[in-house]
Amino acid sequence: MKMKHLIIGVAVMLAPGIMSFCGFYVSKADGTLKNKTSQVILVRDGNKTVITMYNDFKGDTKDFAMVVPVPVVLKQEDIKVVDQDIFQRLNDYSAPRLVEYWDRNPCNNYPEMAKGLTGKVAGVQVSRDKYMDDAEKKETVKIEAKYLVGEYDILILSATESTGLKEWLLNNGYKIPDGAEEVLDPYIKSNLKFFVVKVNEKEKQKLNNNFLRPIQIKFNSPKFMLPIRLGMANADGDQDLIVYAFTRKGRIECTNYRNVNIATDKNIPLFVQKNFGMFYNNLFNHQWSKENKSVAFLEYAWDVSPQNYYHCDPCIATAPGEQDLVQSGVWWLGGKDWSDYSDVDNDEPDNGSKNVHFTRLHFRYNRNSFPQDLFFQVTPNTETFQARYIITHPANGDFTCDAGKKYLQDLKVRRKKELQDLTALTGTNLNNWQQDATAAADEETDATAQYRTLIPEVAAAAEHEKTWPASMIIMSALVLGGAGFMRWKGMV
Amino acid sequence: MNSIHFSRDARYFQIIFQCVFLAYGIVYLGWNAEWWLYFTYLGTSVSTQVLFETILARRRTHQWPAWNAIKNGLPSAVISAMGLCLLLKTNDYSTAILAAFISIASKYLIRFKGKHIFNPSAFGIVSAVLITGNAWISPGQWGSGTVLLFFVLCLGFIITTKVQKLDTSLAFLIPFGGLIFLRQVIYLGWPLDYFIQSISTGSLLLFSFFMITDPKTTPNHYKARIIWSVLVAAVSFYIVTFTFISTAPVWVLVFMQPLVPLLDYIFKAKLFHWKSPKPVKAKLIVFDPVQKKSL
Repeated sequence: MKMKHLIIGVAVMLAPGIMSFCGFYVSKADGTLKNKTSQVILVRDGNKTVITMYNDFKGDTKDFAMVVPVPVVLKQEDIKVVDQDIFQRLNDYSAPRLVEYWDRNPCNNYPEMAKGLTGKVAGVQVSRDKYMDDAEKKETVKIEAKYLVGEYDILILSATESTGLKEWLLNNGYKIPDGAEEVLDPYIKSNLKFFVVKVNEKEKQKLNNNFLRPIQIKFNSPKFMLPIRLGMANADGDQDLIVYAFTRKGRIECTNYRNVNIATDKNIPLFVQKNFGMFYNNLFNHQWSKENKSVAFLEYAWDVSPQNYYHCDPCIATAPGEQDLVQSGVWWLGGKDWSDYSDVDNDEPDNGSKNVHFTRLHFRYNRNSFPQDLFFQVTPNTETFQARYIITHPANGDFTCDAGKKYLQDLKVRRKKELQDLTALTGTNLNNWQQDATAAADEETDATAQYRTLIPEVAAAAEHEKTWPASMIIMSALVLGGAGFMRWKGMV
Repeated sequence: MNSIHFSRDARYFQIIFQCVFLAYGIVYLGWNAEWWLYFTYLGTSVSTQVLFETILARRRTHQWPAWNAIKNGLPSAVISAMGLCLLLKTNDYSTAILAAFISIASKYLIRFKGKHIFNPSAFGIVSAVLITGNAWISPGQWGSGTVLLFFVLCLGFIITTKVQKLDTSLAFLIPFGGLIFLRQVIYLGWPLDYFIQSISTGSLLLFSFFMITDPKTTPNHYKARIIWSVLVAAVSFYIVTFTFISTAPVWVLVFMQPLVPLLDYIFKAKLFHWKSPKPVKAKLIVFDPVQKKSL
């Protein structure tokens, strides 16, 4: 097979002081998630990949620039701009969800209701100071192609050594972050091209809007990855990345980092509703630290094929329609213009399937925990997954019947469990939630079953209880059992 | 036949460690414990083993049932099943049954001169992935924590010393790691932690110490074993680096196993020539119950 180094990804050049983290969305439940978040849509089948990069740069567009390592010299028709709203739709649809249920009064009869809420994730971007359309300064850098796509001027560079490339970028007004060279060199030696983007002011003015549209590129490559290393060179601290992936077969997973399902289907206290965004942020942070940071978190996986009617349970936003999927780059659903991939080595034949599987992965990376770029594989795993948290409203009214008394007892037990889970999930001290618990309209609930009464009880119990994880016991038992067995067999 | 006792011990040893790995995955790495899958693998492997033993026993000695042969073969079937539990994922019962059946059946059906050719787990995995298309390997499932690295190394070391095939592990691991190092650090210029991340994945170490070392499917002569392991390493390196299939070693292992009889053929003469003082290794064949029956 012809050797191809196919690295694609978002690399970001930042001018000093213009680092902008925009897109601070607020969920219905008055919560927020971390705002240093980039978003990428990956579409993959066989060796074909389509990548769409979210752009929510909100400064002076003259300051915008982006460098993306790409495996091949992209043709003009391989690059397009797409509707920005897709990202919002995909995010709304796949974000971690809060579900509400209502208890029935056992002494009465009420119809059951359920509805969902969500926390939302924000995006982040890129900038630079100025751009000059200079010809190449050194022979080590070559402009392979030059296009105007939508509001963007695009150059495809190839380089033979990193100092030349670095110099070229500097001379053309790009600020190279410290440490970028350590990454540029391996990329160049892997025969990557550099996709350099700036805004064409004339075209931008014609559009008459105040945002930059996402750029979508397509290419053929056996390598299925996102280069995050270049972006890391300048990112201070941890950076979030949400990957929305679409495949024909099933989930995608990371092959060089551990995949972990985020904790899901947990009953949490009612008062969390007011601060669901904060709750999820705490939860993610806690799980991320607990799993030693170098992990890929699965937040959502579902079959979203247009012919599949059950896209979620419950749905928190309209499922992406066929049009959204095609916009995202799911070429097998229609778009004929995306099917000219005749030069693929070892490609799987197009089997005409219209299936679409959606995976949402959430990374929080930094230089230490993520020494490598992200590599992925498509698996035939079609199991569904959603990050789902449940709150249950208590029943109201008169509980004087026997079943009613029993209900109050059960409610108390359930709420204690909810509080314990809240601590276990978020790693936060229960007392921090006392204010929320007091503020929540919990008045109609029997005093003994109110959260504010239960919090001190549960917190005190937690103090006393030696937190001996059951896992330690299991492990010890195993080791001891094994040792005993070997002793018995005369091996030790 | 001292070696019977010896090899049986090694197999029990191996089962224990495989269980520890599985427990580690479930308890510490938070795998979804798919008990139905584990029991399907285990049940199918054991029943297939019993089935084949019974058929063979009937055909050869007209004994019924062949309790001894069955008893001798069970640990091998469990090891193969555990290998599947640790590596092969699927959502489908029928795929799980097929994989386990093929693993065990390959031991009886694909043979050459008293040795089966394919490592049962590896063959089962590769067949299931190729035939059904709904099974997969998750190379990232172990992560690459350094603690785990040592954990696996130590355990692996012990087990391989027990069955005296450490040469196979090292002859695979050192060239493979060396080539990756040359490529990533020396040639491409990635920093060292990039390389460490590549080499410290639990999947690779498990493969090196628990899969490629299978005494039944590696060449008998140590020289042949080393040549063969280095070959597996070189081909795996090529595929991992240039075609980006991160699960390459398992595939390469299976596709290179037909070379083993050839190497056995070539190196047998030498072995004879040298008059190896310790023909014990070859005696490991004894834990093949079929062979034992035919002796």
